[in-house]
Amino acid sequence: MIRYEFLMQIRKRSLWISMGLLAVITVLGQGDAGPRYLPDDASARVVASSWAFLWSLLLPIVAGMVLADRLVRDDRLGVSRLLESLPTTATTRVMGRFLGALAATATPIFLATVIAGGAESISREDPAVLLWTPIAFGLVLLPGLVFVGAFAMVVPLLLTAPLFRVLFVGYWFWGNMLGPSYMPSLAGTLLTPVGDYTASWLLGERALYAGADGWLQLLRPEPNGVTAALSVALLLGVGLIPLLVGSRVLARRATA
Amino acid sequence: MDITIRNLRRRFGKVEALRGVDLELSGGMFGLLGANGAGKTTLMRIIAGVLSPTSGQVLIGGHDMSTRQGRVAVQRRLGYLPQDLGLYPDLTAVEFLDYIGLLKGLDDRTARRRQIAELLEVVGLSDVANRKLKGFSGGMRRRVGIAQALLGDPALLVVDEPTAGLDPQERIRFRTLLATLPGRRTVLLSTHVVEDVAQTCRETAVMVDGRIVFTGAVSDLVRGAEGVTWEVVTSGPPPTVGEIVSAVSDAGGTRYRVVSVTPPDPAAIPVPPSLEDGYVAFMQGAAAGRSSA
Ligand SMILES: Nc1ncnc2c1ncn2[C@@H]1O[C@H](COP(=O)(O)OP(=O)(O)O)[C@@H](O)[C@H]1O
Ligand SMILES: [Mg+2]
Repeated sequence: MIRYEFLMQIRKRSLWISMGLLAVITVLGQGDAGPRYLPDDASARVVASSWAFLWSLLLPIVAGMVLADRLVRDDRLGVSRLLESLPTTATTRVMGRFLGALAATATPIFLATVIAGGAESISREDPAVLLWTPIAFGLVLLPGLVFVGAFAMVVPLLLTAPLFRVLFVGYWFWGNMLGPSYMPSLAGTLLTPVGDYTASWLLGERALYAGADGWLQLLRPEPNGVTAALSVALLLGVGLIPLLVGSRVLARRATA
Repeated sequence: MDITIRNLRRRFGKVEALRGVDLELSGGMFGLLGANGAGKTTLMRIIAGVLSPTSGQVLIGGHDMSTRQGRVAVQRRLGYLPQDLGLYPDLTAVEFLDYIGLLKGLDDRTARRRQIAELLEVVGLSDVANRKLKGFSGGMRRRVGIAQALLGDPALLVVDEPTAGLDPQERIRFRTLLATLPGRRTVLLSTHVVEDVAQTCRETAVMVDGRIVFTGAVSDLVRGAEGVTWEVVTSGPPPTVGEIVSAVSDAGGTRYRVVSVTPPDPAAIPVPPSLEDGYVAFMQGAAAGRSSA
């Protein structure tokens, strides 16, 4: 079942086009702090993490966009009534769809990290960069994708997909990139899906705002290995909440 | 699978879609006949366990549909073709059926694949088995719909308006297909097209405004129009007595088929009734009963 959820998502042309476009924009638009301008003696770990963090600034926006229709489209396509009549529970359906669609959505992002890692390995003559690439992907990108993907699939059940998409873009910049010293935001907290804490730990310096003083001081400890792990755990744990809520909503709807 | 329904009611806000339905049925093909809005889809959704009644009781194969266990037990042996079923456009026919098969709990991969191939053969879609569903015509989609319903060899098959929106040729093909389905199972077919029932079912129920007003053999429903079915050929105005079932232009004028207790015209000749006439006669009687009540 996960296989088919994966197939349906990976066959979406909009997934590849928008990921591709945004990846190009990301590469061209990276500032002086971008991984392209890292010194020649930068370690493989720093190079790979730096790329992963760069990808995680914008690509998850596309992920949220293309995952937003996954549950609501059953109604639009007229498949809901059939699915509800099948003996599989709503929880299993939601989880299967989440895993399959998320894996498909993460595929182009993973490819982007591998391409960047491969290119760096060659230009720096250091194969270790390619070895660090999946690790950086798993730590910096994946937890945030799980978090964002779970909300993206379920919130549209309550708000409709177009409204969710608008709010989501606003949230993304507010919750990740708006410095906490300008106005209260979730940027730089353990719940920042951009992977600020894990990237900061891997890079050995603050990636963006991780741990910077601001609103909700409790969620802003010093970035280090322990707090990076805590951030991953929190993102995954909180990501589970919308999935459980979504299962409940669909189960109730099935016997309205 | 036996179905027993007692005093079933369902209300949507102010609309009472079901107003006390009683129904008993066992094996074979059963036709649920009624105009649009009569409550057929509401009834079928309750039987499929995807809608809760406001009150009343539904027992299917001994399982109480008001409990979760009861619903799941029935759903394991159910094939359901919802009205206006949509399909995932980006899957092929085989992939879609495999997906539904998995959700039906058919876990043995080889057995599932074999069954899918057989069903595609039955519904005549083997040639396009590996084509994306987005290219399928209405009739082809409907056949995918019936194939998914048949997955897992269900003991109860619920098909809601399976011929609606099909062209005449597809409609006939589809009816022929439906007529082959019963075997040992119970098939519940809903339709607003009298001919669908006439061609496929022996037993039928007629639904009007959320109530079942007739249950019995199709032949009994036909018999109800005996002696009240007439044909009149006239080039003048159409008959004003009774209800016109059909009108066909002919050389000598228009040939009207009329259901009426009294002859609609001095020249009217009595003719043997069809199910359509029986249905019209029955509805007339029901309307008269209601207005006098
Ligand atoms: N989900 C719903 N919400 C509100 N009204 C509904 C709903 N489903 C059906 N109805 C109403 O209930 C009545 C019966 O509808 P339905 O069961 O679809 O009839 P049929 O299938 O015989 O055409 C109609 O008046 C319809 O408008
Ligand atoms: Mg209907």
